[in-house]
Amino acid sequence: MQDSMSERTKRSVINHKVVPYLFIAPFIIFFVVVYLYPFFKTIIMSFQRIDGPNHITWIGISNYQKLFKDRNFAQSLMTTLRYAVWDLIILCSVPLIVAVILNSGYVKFPAFFKSVFFIPALTSTIVAGIVFRLAFGTLETSIANRVLALFGQKSQDWLMHPGTANFVLIILTLWRWMGVNVVYYISGLQSIPPELYEAAEIDGASSLQKFFYVTLPGVRPVLIYVITITVLGGFAMFTESVALFTQKYAGGIGRTIVGYMYQVGFYKSNLGMASAVGIVLLVIVFTVNFIQLILMGFFKKEN
Amino acid sequence: MGYKTKKRILTVLATLLMVILAVFTLSPFYFMFLSSLKPGTEMLRYGLSFTFDPQISSFKNYEALNTYREGIYWDWYKSSLILMVLQTLIGLFLGSLVGYGLAMYDFKGKNIVITIVLLLMMVPFEILLLPLYQMLIKAKMINSYFGVILPYLVPPFMIFFFRQYCLSLPREMMEAAYMDGCSDFGIFFRIMVPNMIPAYGAMTILSCMNCWNNLLWPLIVLSNDRKFTIPIGMATTITPYGNAYDVLMPGAVMAVVPIVIIYLFAQKTFIAGLTSGAVKG
Amino acid sequence: MKKMLVVLLAALILMLSVTAFADDEPIKLTLWTFQELHLSLYREMLDKWNADPANPKLEIDMQVYDYEDMHNKLTIALQTGEGAPDISEIEISMYANYLKGDIQLAPLNEYVEPIADHLVMSRMNNYARDGKYYGIDHHIGATVMFYNTEILEAAGIDYKDIKTWDDFHEAGKTVLEKTGKPMTTWESTDCWSIYPIVSQHGGDWLTWDNEVVMDSPVVASTLQFMKDMLADGTAVAAPGGSHHTEEYWGWMNGGNCATVSMPFWYLNRFTNYMPDLAGKIKVAPLPTWPDGGHKSSQMGGTGVSVIATSPNAEVAKAYIAFATLSFDGCVNTWKLLGFDPILMDVYGTPEMQEPNEFFEYYGDDIFTNMMTVLDDIPDTAITDMYPAATDIVKAQMAYDLVYTDKTGEEIAKECADQLRSLID
Repeated sequence: MQDSMSERTKRSVINHKVVPYLFIAPFIIFFVVVYLYPFFKTIIMSFQRIDGPNHITWIGISNYQKLFKDRNFAQSLMTTLRYAVWDLIILCSVPLIVAVILNSGYVKFPAFFKSVFFIPALTSTIVAGIVFRLAFGTLETSIANRVLALFGQKSQDWLMHPGTANFVLIILTLWRWMGVNVVYYISGLQSIPPELYEAAEIDGASSLQKFFYVTLPGVRPVLIYVITITVLGGFAMFTESVALFTQKYAGGIGRTIVGYMYQVGFYKSNLGMASAVGIVLLVIVFTVNFIQLILMGFFKKEN
Repeated sequence: MGYKTKKRILTVLATLLMVILAVFTLSPFYFMFLSSLKPGTEMLRYGLSFTFDPQISSFKNYEALNTYREGIYWDWYKSSLILMVLQTLIGLFLGSLVGYGLAMYDFKGKNIVITIVLLLMMVPFEILLLPLYQMLIKAKMINSYFGVILPYLVPPFMIFFFRQYCLSLPREMMEAAYMDGCSDFGIFFRIMVPNMIPAYGAMTILSCMNCWNNLLWPLIVLSNDRKFTIPIGMATTITPYGNAYDVLMPGAVMAVVPIVIIYLFAQKTFIAGLTSGAVKG
Repeated sequence: MKKMLVVLLAALILMLSVTAFADDEPIKLTLWTFQELHLSLYREMLDKWNADPANPKLEIDMQVYDYEDMHNKLTIALQTGEGAPDISEIEISMYANYLKGDIQLAPLNEYVEPIADHLVMSRMNNYARDGKYYGIDHHIGATVMFYNTEILEAAGIDYKDIKTWDDFHEAGKTVLEKTGKPMTTWESTDCWSIYPIVSQHGGDWLTWDNEVVMDSPVVASTLQFMKDMLADGTAVAAPGGSHHTEEYWGWMNGGNCATVSMPFWYLNRFTNYMPDLAGKIKVAPLPTWPDGGHKSSQMGGTGVSVIATSPNAEVAKAYIAFATLSFDGCVNTWKLLGFDPILMDVYGTPEMQEPNEFFEYYGDDIFTNMMTVLDDIPDTAITDMYPAATDIVKAQMAYDLVYTDKTGEEIAKECADQLRSLID
């Protein structure tokens, strides 16, 4: 960087070819050290059995074979898939609706609400998890069960059944991340030129029509961004489930792929197998995101 | 029904809905604050309680933060602050540098680099933990702050964001500066940086947020409990045999303070930055 | 700009510098634990150690971690040969992980063997391999029954009349009928209900040769017994999933259940978290099985170990032996931690009867019955598959017991098959 400074006066052709690379050099170094090398290392490790620094054996695809036979892995995969799907649906739609309402001009003090919704994202999931765990407790006196009782429903053992456990996870995620997505959406909504709405109004469009023909296309780029990070967040979810299930995962409930990887890798110190889990996770996330990007017509636009 | 009545009803309904959501959002904090005032055993004995009991509530727990294990809580606090400042400053600097480079120059391989940046935003960082950890050991960087921030030095999401942001800035500014004989880096520092303030605001919040609550990686890297960050330290007060709520709850409340202050300060630029920046794709 | 870089660089270098070690006189040791409670014993015994001029002065840096994190970090440190402490506590269900391959813990035979006759050796065997003892436990962890006498009396039952598990079940029916309250709770996310009873009945998960016996008839029938109690409502699922949750403590403290079977160290959970039951709880031996088995069982524990590669391994060994095996150490284990010490000599001595919060809470007959079971505590086969077996019990068996319709035999079979599939 210093070199380029001293060359500031000669702005030669060569210099112009070099400068952009100087700008991106930090990233290239970073990419190689932090991503590329560890990535290949993970792939290699996934074919190994590692019993300590000096006890490494090549075992081919045996880690993968074992993985696909392990019913705990299958269960973790199902848990993650179920969570990711609901996460995608709820965390993309609810904040959008909230953002539209906040941006509609009907709400008093929209800035205040925007700030309030954002606050959970600033706090530690661990403590939030404790609160949610107790709120969705087994006893009839827990908050969630009291709410059920209001509607004449029987008490639930929320965290002990896959369906309800997933529900609590989604609620926790929504609580924590709604504000962030609302802010994203609002920034998208505010970039839609008001003339478009005026034009739609002149054409006699209903509110719903305006939403589908003006709002949605207007926030499409934001939507793509939100979906992409939500897919990643959904499949890589770990902290929320640790906070709720404290790594016990009784009956395998609440254990996600990353949770499984962490257990296998650190808890059972089987680094090879954990690497194989990581690779499977990577393939899944990439596949889902590519499908999503193709469906959203992302690549068409880039070209 | 007149237009005005309809509008009024909608206003009431919409605001009411937001109030309900706000109550849902804030109730855990209310509970956290309440419990931070009660003796820790209260929580263990009676679990969640939303009632304020002046007889047993006091700020004693907050004082206990100073004495708990010789004031270790404030060591965690210091660690968290140092890491947050370091990680955010370096991330902002390098992220904007690279993002700017990718937005303003045409060069061979540019599209490949952009694609890589996009791809990296989809890589679950968790899968790289093991090799990264082994790398740190070889480099003798275990238990160092640098080891903690290493994977976040040039965050791809920042590069992506700054690039998008720069694309939205008028190129003429840059060209005019060229005419005046400004160097490439001179343009960046003197002209672009001041123009990217909203983007910096937005990224400051996201980066501080990520760093402040980061658990997994610092946990693996840091091995001295005086160097722990708040989330790791707090996790040590949660045990299978009963949680130390008298530290956990006031600690959690105190931990919210700096990040909320940052948010309140940068909020305006945050939203402005997002609006004009990255997420427009 | 340059200045900014310089400042950044300087800051980086500053951050990089790891805490420096001063060359002071006392020998510095590092100790890891996941249980802050234990530190009071180590501190007390460290003071005593340093007070004796014959001992080299010690300074111990005691680090508390989260349970999972501590074991993960220790695994990594031992695997990479970097950053391990001198002394570490290792939880019993994790211990076998550290006895695999090249064992990196230091054998403690020189301290254990001379007093072997005075120790509850089934506790030492948990941390041994090939005749070498690598860890010392703080307690026996003998399983006992905690009876809420108020509820039992309301149902017209004297807990002393409950001799067998069948008596227990019958008493439960009376309690349920008379008071509407369950007799006991079974955990659905942990192993403290299942294992002690299975072990007391004569069952185990593995043999010492790593053969899976998790589906033996005695395991299946024990599970079926527990299942039957759930079926008629004399047992219910522990609120919150285990006997270590806020929900359970609050519920139990409210006098909603007549008994709980837990290891001896559960004493301090009552005194700490269930104050309203003071004076109502009695500690008694477990009911016995009519078809054989033992008087009690052992469960849980933490092995204090010395890392073999520590440059100060010898003095570290001497210190932990002093802190955990000496008469003084064991008496303090009871006084400070409320545990049942593994040194049998201490039981019945006046030092152990000094008034404290436990005698106040439970009455002064805590040890009266306890001492009768010390001679009949079965071993647990802690092989290298034991951690995996415990995982399955916590994650699958307990859950299936409480939340599915499977019979005891089906549960035992499925869990055993799962464990077998993990053995290469």
